[in-house]
Amino acid sequence: MIRYLLGKLAESAIAIWGVVTIVFFVTRILGDPSALLLPIGASPEEMARLQADLGLDQPLFLQYLSYLGNIATGDFGQSFQFGRPAMGVVLERMPATMELAFTALILGTLLGVVAGTIAALNRGRLAELVVMLFALLGQATPVFWLGIMLILFFAVDLRWLPTGGYGTPAHLVLPAFTLAVFVSASIARLLRSNLLDVLKEDYVRTARAKGLMPRVILVWHVGRNALIPVVTMIGIIMGELLGGSVVTETVFSWPGVGRLIIQAIETKDFPVIQAGVALIAFIFVVINFAIDLLYGLLDPRIRERR
Amino acid sequence: MQFRTTLRSLCLGAALAASTALPSFAQEGEVTIALRVAVNTFDPHMTGTVGSDLSVLSHIYPALVLRGPDLKLQPSLATSWEMVDPTTWRFKLAEGTTYADGEKIDAEAVKWNLDRVRDPKVGARIAGWFSLVSEVNVIDPTTVEVKTSAPYPALADQLSMFLLLPPKWAETHNPATETLSGGPYAVEENVPGDRITLKANPDYWGDKPTFQTVNFRTIPETGSRIAALLAGEVDLITGIPTSEIARIDAADNASAGAVDSTRSMLIKFNHEKPPMDNLKFRQAVNYAIDKTGIADAIFDGKATVSQCQILSKDYFGYNPELEPYPYDPDKAAELFAESGVDLSQPIEIEVPVARYLQGEEVTQVIASELTSLGLNMKISEIEFGAFMKKQIEGRDLAQMAVQGLAWPTIDADGMLTMFSPGNVYDYWGNEAFGKLLDEGRETTDKDARQKIYAEATKLMCDEAASGFLYVQPETYGVSDDVTWQARGDDWVRAFDMKPKT
Repeated sequence: MIRYLLGKLAESAIAIWGVVTIVFFVTRILGDPSALLLPIGASPEEMARLQADLGLDQPLFLQYLSYLGNIATGDFGQSFQFGRPAMGVVLERMPATMELAFTALILGTLLGVVAGTIAALNRGRLAELVVMLFALLGQATPVFWLGIMLILFFAVDLRWLPTGGYGTPAHLVLPAFTLAVFVSASIARLLRSNLLDVLKEDYVRTARAKGLMPRVILVWHVGRNALIPVVTMIGIIMGELLGGSVVTETVFSWPGVGRLIIQAIETKDFPVIQAGVALIAFIFVVINFAIDLLYGLLDPRIRERR
Repeated sequence: MQFRTTLRSLCLGAALAASTALPSFAQEGEVTIALRVAVNTFDPHMTGTVGSDLSVLSHIYPALVLRGPDLKLQPSLATSWEMVDPTTWRFKLAEGTTYADGEKIDAEAVKWNLDRVRDPKVGARIAGWFSLVSEVNVIDPTTVEVKTSAPYPALADQLSMFLLLPPKWAETHNPATETLSGGPYAVEENVPGDRITLKANPDYWGDKPTFQTVNFRTIPETGSRIAALLAGEVDLITGIPTSEIARIDAADNASAGAVDSTRSMLIKFNHEKPPMDNLKFRQAVNYAIDKTGIADAIFDGKATVSQCQILSKDYFGYNPELEPYPYDPDKAAELFAESGVDLSQPIEIEVPVARYLQGEEVTQVIASELTSLGLNMKISEIEFGAFMKKQIEGRDLAQMAVQGLAWPTIDADGMLTMFSPGNVYDYWGNEAFGKLLDEGRETTDKDARQKIYAEATKLMCDEAASGFLYVQPETYGVSDDVTWQARGDDWVRAFDMKPKT
């Protein structure tokens, strides 16, 4: 088990190194930020001075080495735009992103699991059709459109909720719901097909033949087996949500990490892009790690293989 | 059954929580302004962005002079100013002015700020605005003298964008993240990326502000900004498509409109690449484009056609005598033929993506009008940073590029300088034009300068130095609770607004 964990840790470290390296070179392809950072009319001398100030006049490889050395100590450099440590700028936006991500994830998972189970247990009936229709619509509807429609109806017409912004539970309702629609649709569809597969298994028939209560069969025999792929999917969705849901954050003026990174890309704020991407990579790695451990809990076979 | 009851009470609870937690909509003594981009830094010397950073900071920090809603300079910290000689300016400051901690806003403070912004070690982003300033002298506590290495007629205009930090406070605080009020408002709350709340500064030395509370909310998405205005959450929005003006006007709680911004849209010619070195060809391009058609069709008639110059009416040096090249495809065809240019050669027209209001659509219209006259046009959409790099460092712009130009001092000196030989932006290389601009800088006599710029703009027009298009409209929407005089130079300030009675 310890060897397994150490192996996983080494894998994770390599993955993060790969991501920070790629993001370093990709940001350099974006080009020189000095034209964007200085007001119009700046002279070439001023641009050269700014490049020197930002350390962009050094040979690329030297820049890369000092970048690696610095991030090893947790220093992602000063943001070009904000004039303060880049990681601080990113972390400052994390609470908003986490609040939205977890609310949407919990809401979406609850809805998705309930809907998926109803659909599977009502094979061929109207309930299944209705659930699947909504799931299909939920997955197919562009988040941007749904968000704007919700704003127009609940905020502009009814004035029940604010159009956007951050701070109170009321601000959270529309963006979380918008994201949850997508999350629940994905989970409902996946869970339904898994449940149907598992329901056909011999051990389920055996359990029924033994006369076990349907609820026990559903939870212990069917649910645990059908949930493994769903857990993976929830993990992936969580990673995506924690990386910032750019469209939702933009439509609802939600001050999250996704919007920040997009802004940083537009203004070529290299340190913020690097810090943001590194943080997201780290989150992904941690989530993957957690999912691996969860598999063991759900499926003893995986545990033993280790 | 029990489950249902629980569910019902949960829903009710959520609805109740939501309704009590709703933000208070526009209240007495409170005004909310929507920003298109978030405020990035509180250090006024580290940003030149008027529409967000500087607008918010102008509520907190004093400036020597302010540009009023009529775009004229107004006294602020400086009660009067004069040009003693072409390279010496003298500013008389108001007395008894202090920051919130009691630190004096005096001539020493002004000198410290001007020295700070020019100090290479500080690396101020707006250092270029003051590159002509050579020394700053304190004459007495309320008199400051600014010397320039060459005549700088637009110095006072430039100072309207220069906000003053408290020198002593700055020794122990980080101006990028902290503030100390020396203006009408002080920061009460800052939620990065979301909102900044300002409260009236009780110790402010100037006129008491009208609103007790000013909220700046960042709403990047256009549709969401309009929704926030219509929902009564914000009082002022900017940057909306002209096509949305009628929809906002139709609402019962807000109105919308457009004014000329200070940004002129033009087709930048790369005179260094054939056939743009050919005068008849350049003139033909100007005749070939239906400027009025673009203003009507794309901007709902809210854009003003450029008067054969890159200066709009608000600029000092605007030439009222000039008239646009009329839209005349026959004349254009004739000139294209006379130019002797092989029209089958590919001609590239570049446009930076998502930079100018409907810039890509305008480029398509231009390309199709030129194509219909037999030109072989190719449109390239390019990221703005790459476009600037290509323009300034690479000096390799395509034959044509759709570009918007504005100069912060709203003065011909600066705006026209971008077409002066030796300037990084210039591809024209017209020595006579450069000489005129030098002359304009050597005098501070307004009439003489006006005459010189009239000549310069006429030269640019006759030579078809660029394709003159239109003045980009600045659009806005304002709630019925307040009044605000629309302006085209990006400033959004609560102290320019009044509650509607």
